[in-house]
Amino acid sequence: MRHLGLAALFVLVLPASLSAQAGGPCARDALGHEVCLADPARRVVSLSPGATELLFSAGAGGKVVAVSAWSDYPAEAVQLPQVGDSSRLDLEAIVSMAPDLVVAWVDGNSRSQLERLSELGVSVFWLAPRAFDDIATAVEALALLTGSPAVGEARAESFRKEIATLEDRFAGARPVRVFYQIWDQPLMTVNQEELISKAITLCGGTNVFGQLPRLVPRVSREAVLEANPEAIVTAGSAENEGWLAAWRQFPGLVAAAAGNLFLEPPDLLARPTLRMAEGARHLCQTLEQARANL
Amino acid sequence: MLISSPLKPMLVLVLASLVAGFLSVSIGSSAIGIEDTLRVLAGSGSELQQTLILDLRLPRTLSAFATGGLLAVAGALMQVLLRNPLADPYVLGLSGGAAVGALLAMLAGAAGYLVSGSAFAGAMLATLLVFGLAHGSGSWTPSRLLLTGVVVAAGWGAVITLILSMTPASRLPGMLYWLMGDLSHATTAWPGLVILVLVCLLVFPLGRALNVLARGSLQAAALGVSVRPLEWLIYLMASLLTATAVTMAGAVGFVGLVVPHMLRLALGNDQRLILPACALAGGTLLVLADTLARVVIAPEQLPVGVITALIGVPTFLYLLYRSR
Repeated sequence: MRHLGLAALFVLVLPASLSAQAGGPCARDALGHEVCLADPARRVVSLSPGATELLFSAGAGGKVVAVSAWSDYPAEAVQLPQVGDSSRLDLEAIVSMAPDLVVAWVDGNSRSQLERLSELGVSVFWLAPRAFDDIATAVEALALLTGSPAVGEARAESFRKEIATLEDRFAGARPVRVFYQIWDQPLMTVNQEELISKAITLCGGTNVFGQLPRLVPRVSREAVLEANPEAIVTAGSAENEGWLAAWRQFPGLVAAAAGNLFLEPPDLLARPTLRMAEGARHLCQTLEQARANL
Repeated sequence: MLISSPLKPMLVLVLASLVAGFLSVSIGSSAIGIEDTLRVLAGSGSELQQTLILDLRLPRTLSAFATGGLLAVAGALMQVLLRNPLADPYVLGLSGGAAVGALLAMLAGAAGYLVSGSAFAGAMLATLLVFGLAHGSGSWTPSRLLLTGVVVAAGWGAVITLILSMTPASRLPGMLYWLMGDLSHATTAWPGLVILVLVCLLVFPLGRALNVLARGSLQAAALGVSVRPLEWLIYLMASLLTATAVTMAGAVGFVGLVVPHMLRLALGNDQRLILPACALAGGTLLVLADTLARVVIAPEQLPVGVITALIGVPTFLYLLYRSR
């Protein structure tokens, strides 16, 4: 009896999804789901600051009707209604926006919460950029789903080109050993899986803690001194200068002795979005400076 | 014989704390052998080794020792004050007040002395709050103090949860590590060590009165102890000790509950012996725990509060089982 019911469901659903495939746009998300829409989405809800940024890059800014908290880029996004913090979403607020597409973030949003959304018939597209090309692909997919594929392709193409240019330019550069500090207390860094570390590699640098197993490992000051990086880089506003200044008390540290303590502009490398190209370009210049100082 | 019998355990504890301290400065995420450690402590050795041992490990070892000692003595005093074996330094909500102070400072983007300063202020505020509420107008009993403290602690807990749920994700790790108890931001140990020594010296002459008080306030009053002032003095001293410890390392759990009990099982219930022994044993335990926290998954770091509970629980259960 149950099987019969299932079969009936298939018969009902199959033509529907086929027709969606024939008519509307389809894209594969980071969880491997094929997300198909009957028509390009007109009402999109973004569930993380990164997703908001990628949607605007994909030319879908005008279709974003609500965003998660901390969506502060581009400036237009700040004005939009919010549906809660990315880790604590207000499902009711999302549903009442009547979205035809919700863009979620694998590392930030709760899988179980969003399954409720899928059950309610809302299309959820998951993002999880782990490499530069994933960012470009995400922009293309979001542009396709929101009906402006040409914009997405152009933006993705220029992003890929920028990254490739940096790669060519610094492929033969003398390697610089880098400690990238993302927090001070506790002292935290990134391993090689994190995009920031990939940007360091792109610029001809080596992440001294690249081999650690966790994405965002907490390390001791002692381990940093022993690794003795040639450059210490952090990002943020002027208040993080203090983090760097603290390393100057260790004159044996090559980075401190050579004056290779760098503060990168905030936000550019923090989110896996198209702004990473700018962030990577800046980081490459910084590491060039580091090479000159050594 | 009368002199040597309490001296022997104290000597053992002093020796143990010295060994633990030496271990703690010679072990870390970078390997420095025992010979090299001795060389550095004698004033030579390479520059990197000197930096590692003298600038990074030694201050942290001293902080760990001070924190552990402060918490254990505070726990012992609280257990006498409340006549309750479950009392620990945090039972009256002091760590909650300190945590609210520290987390608010972190939420505002502060670091370093501002965080520890507001932790201390929070702890003192919590102390005064419980003191005022329990004092009230009616009669005062340990159980009234205990209930007031426990309820106020629950209130702090709610405020902590509220702060955590309103904090952006990037600031959360620092806050969580603070709540778990973590020595990585302990910079200077001297205030803690000085307060520990001062309180131990102050408590020593009170030892007899404390022994009597531990048997109950009526007996103590009958034997000529002025109970009320003594109890408030204990409360204030325990609060000062705990506030100092929490300011240095966040809310390290377990040491204050278990070390006094361990020592009572081993040495009997003479406060004149237990309190200084607590200072040494608590310090030693935390130094060892912090050493483990630094090296278990080196170069990554664990918060020391995890380790104190992980090694404290089985040790305590073993002692309890054996004493039956």
